Parts: sequence; C-alpha cells; structure tokens
Amino acid sequence: MFDGPRSYLWLIPALPLLGAALTAALGPRWLRGQSHWPCVLGSVAACILSVMTLVAVARGFPSAGTDGIRSYYEWFSAGDVTVGISLRADGLTAVMLVTVTFIGSLIAIYSAGYMRGDPGYPRFFAAVSLFLFSMTGLVLANNFILLYAFWEGVGLCSYLLIGFWFAKPSAAAAARKAFLVTRLGDIGLFLGILTLWLLFGSTATGTSRSLAMDVIFDNVALASTRGTLDHEMLTVACLLLFLGAVGKSAQFPLHVWLPDAMEGPSPVSALIHAATMVTAGVYLVARCTPLFGMAPDAQLVVAVIGGLTALLAALIAVTQTDLKRVLAYSTISQLGYMFLALGSGIEQHRLATLAVTAAIFHLVTHAFFKALLFLGAGSVMHAMGDVIDMRRFGGLRKVLPITHATFLCGAAALAGFPVLFSGFWSKDEILAVTWKAAHESEYATIYFVLLVCALGTAGLTAFYTFRAYFMTFWGEVRIPEEAGHHPHDASPVMGVPLMILAAGAVLVGITLGPTGIFGGFLEQHWMKRQFAARLLPEPGGHHLNWLLMSISGAIALGGIGLAYVLYVKTPALTDNLAKAMSGLYGWSRNKFYLDELFEAIFVRPLEGLARLIRILDQYFVDGLVDLIGQIPSFIGYLVRPFQNGLVQSYALLMALFVGGLLLATMLR
Amino acid sequence: MSPVNLQSYLIVGAALFVLGMVGFLTRRNLILMFLSAEMMLQGVALNLVAFSRYHGNLGGQVLTLFIVTVAACEAAIALALILMLYRRRKSLDVSLWQELREPELEPIVDEAPLPPAPLPEPMPHLTVAGPEPMHPAEETSHV
Repeated sequence: MFDGPRSYLWLIPALPLLGAALTAALGPRWLRGQSHWPCVLGSVAACILSVMTLVAVARGFPSAGTDGIRSYYEWFSAGDVTVGISLRADGLTAVMLVTVTFIGSLIAIYSAGYMRGDPGYPRFFAAVSLFLFSMTGLVLANNFILLYAFWEGVGLCSYLLIGFWFAKPSAAAAARKAFLVTRLGDIGLFLGILTLWLLFGSTATGTSRSLAMDVIFDNVALASTRGTLDHEMLTVACLLLFLGAVGKSAQFPLHVWLPDAMEGPSPVSALIHAATMVTAGVYLVARCTPLFGMAPDAQLVVAVIGGLTALLAALIAVTQTDLKRVLAYSTISQLGYMFLALGSGIEQHRLATLAVTAAIFHLVTHAFFKALLFLGAGSVMHAMGDVIDMRRFGGLRKVLPITHATFLCGAAALAGFPVLFSGFWSKDEILAVTWKAAHESEYATIYFVLLVCALGTAGLTAFYTFRAYFMTFWGEVRIPEEAGHHPHDASPVMGVPLMILAAGAVLVGITLGPTGIFGGFLEQHWMKRQFAARLLPEPGGHHLNWLLMSISGAIALGGIGLAYVLYVKTPALTDNLAKAMSGLYGWSRNKFYLDELFEAIFVRPLEGLARLIRILDQYFVDGLVDLIGQIPSFIGYLVRPFQNGLVQSYALLMALFVGGLLLATMLR
Repeated sequence: MSPVNLQSYLIVGAALFVLGMVGFLTRRNLILMFLSAEMMLQGVALNLVAFSRYHGNLGGQVLTLFIVTVAACEAAIALALILMLYRRRKSLDVSLWQELREPELEPIVDEAPLPPAPLPEPMPHLTVAGPEPMHPAEETSHV
C-alpha cells in the first residue's frame, strides 16, 4: 500500500463526485441506458478504498503520535476563524465508510436493473452518486463546518431522490416535507456548532478559533480535567446537536418525513434508510461522544427520545398495510434503538464503550438487513406492477422464490430471530447496555422504563415484520391485475445484490458481535485514541448477558409466532381482534394522528400567515411598486401637450426656460 | 473705448436680439421667421464684437467672422428648405407643418387664419379701336 490512507483518503468522496459529474454531463446525451456505469464504478472503487482504509486502521493506522488527520486546503477564513478542508481516518470513520460504500455500491448495481427504462435514468444515477459523495464526505470530515456542508448535501440529495418522480404531486410533496422537516433539525445542528465554537473553539495558541473536531474535543476534555467545564452550556450544545440528529435520523417528533419518503423509487428508500441518510444522525451523536459523555442530562434526553420513538414507531408499524411503509416505521424504530444505546452509556461522567459500539454495531447490521428488505420490497413492487399494498397480493413465495428467500433472511434479522441472524446480536447488545444503565445509572428508574419499552418494541418488531412477511409471501396466491400475466422474479442484476445482502444480514451479526471483533475494533482504534483517559474499563472484557439474551430471543419468537397464528392460521381471528381493539387499532392505523396534529399546529397557521403575507405582497408591496412605475408615465402625460409639432411653441418654451435659468443664476 | 460706448453697443445688440426673437415667435411666414433668426444672430455677433473690443483681444472678432460665414451657409440651406416646403403646400405658413406632434393631440388650427391672398388686379378691358391688323394664319394660334 502506498503511504497509508492519507494519500488516498480524499479519493473516497471524490470518486462518487466524479461519477455524479460524469453522469450528469454525459448521461442524457451520450450514455443514456449505460448511465449507471460512472456511478457503479465510482462507488465500487470508493468501496475498495474504504476497505483498504479499514484494513490500514486495523493494522494500526494512524501510527502512534500522529492523529490520522489530513488537511488539504484552506476553505475560508474570516476574522480569527479558519476553516480548512481536512479529512480524518479512524475506527469509526472506517466502519461507516465501508458500510456506506458497500451498501451504496450494491444498491447502485441493483438500481441498474430496477430503474431500467425510466426516462430519468441518468438523473437518478447522478443523484445517487452525489448522495454517496455527501455521505462519505460527512463521515470523513474533521471539521464541524465541513460536516455541516455535507450534512446539507445529504439533505439536498434526499430531496432530489424522494422527489425523483416529481411529476407525481405526492412525490413532490413528500420531497418538500422531507427537506423542510430535516431543515428544522439542521437549525439546531448549526446553533449547536456555533455554541461549541464559542465555548470550546480556542486553539492551543489562543490566537485563533477553530471548528475542528479534535480541537473542540480536546478543549472539552481539558476543561473537564481542570474542573472549569460549563456543564449547562455543554448540555445545551449537545441538545442542539441532537436536534440535528433527530431531524436527520427521523426521531420523534421529527420522524414524519421518513414514511412519506416512500414516494421515491425503492432503491432510494434503501439508500436513505440503510446507508446514506438516516445513519448520519446516529453517526453525529456517536462522533460527539466526547461531548455527550460530559453531559449526562443530554444523554438521558437522547435515550428517552430514542426509546419513545422505538416504541411509537413499532406501534404504528403494526397496522400499516403498505409494505414499504411498514419497513419505514421499522427503520424509525430501529434508529430509536440506536439512540437509546447512545444515550445509555454514561456512568459518573465516564464513558462506557459498550454503549457506543452497540449503537454503531446495530447501525451496521441494520444497514445490511434494511437495505435487503427495501430492495426485496422493490423487487416485489417490480413484479407486481408497482402495487405495494399488502392486501392486494399474497402467497408470492412460489412466484418469487429468490425475493422470498432473501426477504425472509432480512425479516428474520430485523425481527431478531435468535442465534443466527444479525439483528438479534446487535439488538441484544443494545438491550444489554440499557439493562446496565437501568442497574447502575443515577436515573435508574427511567432507564428501567426504557428497557421495558425496548423489550416491548422487540416483540412488536418481530410481530409486524413477520405480519408483513406472511401477508406478502404466504396464504393463497393473489396477484393484482397490474402485474400482467406472468410476474417475473428478480433478474440477476437485481438478484445478486439481494443475495449478497442476505448473506451479510445473516453473517455480520454472529461473526462480529458475540466474538467481540467489532467492539474491540472500535475500542482499540477509535475510543482509546480519542479519549483514553476517560474510558470505563469493561470488567472482564466482553461478556454476554445470557438472561437478557434469552428473554429477548423468547420475545422475538413470541412475536413471530403471534404473527403466524394471526395471519396464517386464523385470519378471521385477526379481524375480530382488530374490531375488539378498534380504539388502539385506529390510533395506530392513523399514526397516532401525529401528521394531523402537526398539520393543525404548524402547517395550518403557517399557511394562514403565508396567505396573509401574500395578500400584503399583492396589494401593498405590488401597489407601491406599481405606483412608482406610474410616476414617469404620469409626468409624460403632463408634458405631452407641449409636443404639438409647432416650431414656434418649442422656441417659446426654450426661450422661457433659458430665461428662467438665467434669472435663477443671477438671483442666486 | 470708454465703458459708455460698450453699454450702448450692448443695448443695440440686445435690442436686435429681442426684436429678432419676438419676430421669430410671432410671424408665421417662414421667410420672415428666418430673417428674424438672422437678426438674433446679428445681435449676438454685435455683442461679441463689442466685448472683443472692450477686452482688447481678437477672439470675439474671429468668432464673429465664423458666425457670418456659418450664417451665409445657413441662409443658403434654409432658403432651399423653405423653397421645398413652399412647393409642397403652395404656402409659406409655418402652421401647416405640425405633423411631428404627439399622435393623440389635435392639430392647432388658428381661429383667425391669414387673410386670403388678394386676387390679381384684373387686366383693364379696352374697347377695340381701329381695324384689326393683319396676322399670318399660323401666328394666331400663339395667342
């Protein structure tokens, strides 16, 4: 290898960017049906480089004494602030990079089959490539302003892709909703960055201020050891950062955009849910662990929001009939798990490595099985003529064997099917962390409630996942007429990514989780470097909580069994049950009326205000402008009679005005 | 030259100028208007000459020579133009030429137009006296 990752780190975002530029420039005119090549090649190359980075980090890069940060270029400097474009490679970044680019590459390959024939084919791949560029840049950035720039880039690309079929009003509305709702969070993120800059931005020399993450983290650590840390302001800053994460990662109450984002093409959903968009918030909070570790109150908020979101989204997912919508709510719920883990890792102002590693581990396994599930759902849609309502098809396991097998792997992973599947291991780590917090934290009761929530969510997750699975693939064969005569299974270009992802969904968990490889890697190559002094020693190293594991396994199996009983054995019972619990059923079905609530609280008054302002603009501002526009023509109207074509009247006027001018000059 | 003399020159110049201007503004005959304009020009020229003499430099004199030259050219052009205009309307009235006005304005028609041109004096009718002289036949058709 050349010179370690320093030499090629910049290529990881640059290659997808190049792919995007090439596709955008050449696609519509020359590449046309071959437009996927720049995107696919760019993301695969970026993936290879990411794996190389991961290997280099595992071998001990950056070597002792260096920090693995490479500055390329001074972006701008204003006053005493200098913002440079600097990238950083460490354990967390490497893991995120590999996840993002690997999943992204598979999705790009899958899309080449899925999107074939769409009039916007080049546009799609340009946007996907740009999405990967933004996300890889986001995880590489060593500077809060740079991170913010890429953060907005991710938001922009999500807007472009959710609204990919912009001629459809619902897609356009969904894209706008996603952009505006995440924007709310972005305000928080930006304010948080500014707060951090004000409080902890001064560099070692003291002459200038910096927004670089390492500087800010070091300053916080220093202030903490000296005892001069302003805990309240730090908590405020952390909460603001978390607000950004809430928007981007679709947590309650800003989760409403994610289910609507289903309006985009299915690969886009996979991309947003698994690799590039919603993980950004989790990454941000994980990256800022050195800050959150000092602010236990902020962590508690993170945990509560995470736990609440997990339960709420799971409850909503139980009654949805749109296959992709079920998956969307499951994403929200799983992200809630991740935040629950991130918020549970505090003990006496010291960090528990297990918590953060559990969150990131769940992020990685979730990326695999959620991408798989969405691509599988896309495959179902593809075969069913774009019908996605689960009530309209059924019994597809004979019709679509590849899709069925891979979807089953994904569903089992999401449900946390014991022992074999990845979701079980990562979810279990999160439960273990919460368990620990419930026993040892100063807020033990709250964490205990959250643990119960998480266990309940685990059961619900298993139930709704397999409800969707049974409704789609079991029962008698029903195929909507839109599908045509012969629904076809995934073609190889779509099937192979599905199989790779299915293998990942099965294997990633059991190989990396219980063996401690993943946790050890992050601890060794990220945490020890960044906050060695404050690491909480894990007594006895990595150990498994067998009791909790068996409880959660039993709950998952129970959920799956319940789904089997209700949707395969005795479907009649289901309807009766739904009628019996119509109150709760209706609330869940209507997403707890949150959309309606937001509509009433925010959208309507703002629309009213907009209407008022529009009237003001139309009649007052426009009137003023028109009035000013009228002045010259009014003057013209006054002067017009003087141009009567008579030479002598012109001469008279001239003489009068010259005389007046002379008089004025003389009298002055 | 004494100051008194300058003043009288200036008075004469001003008088010429004002007379010319009044003439230009009031007369409707194109040729008279042109002559009035010439008169204004001469009033100015007189001022220039007077000041030139008063200040003792020849700038004003030179300028006056230019003015006279230009006035000669101008006279040639103006008379040619007036001739052309006369041929178009068979009249020298300036108020016949007001087409270059705002399109929506009504033309200004004088309520008291110029009196019609007097008819030519009729030739005196003389009674025949004495015998008619003899003409060659072909010459009679010339009458």
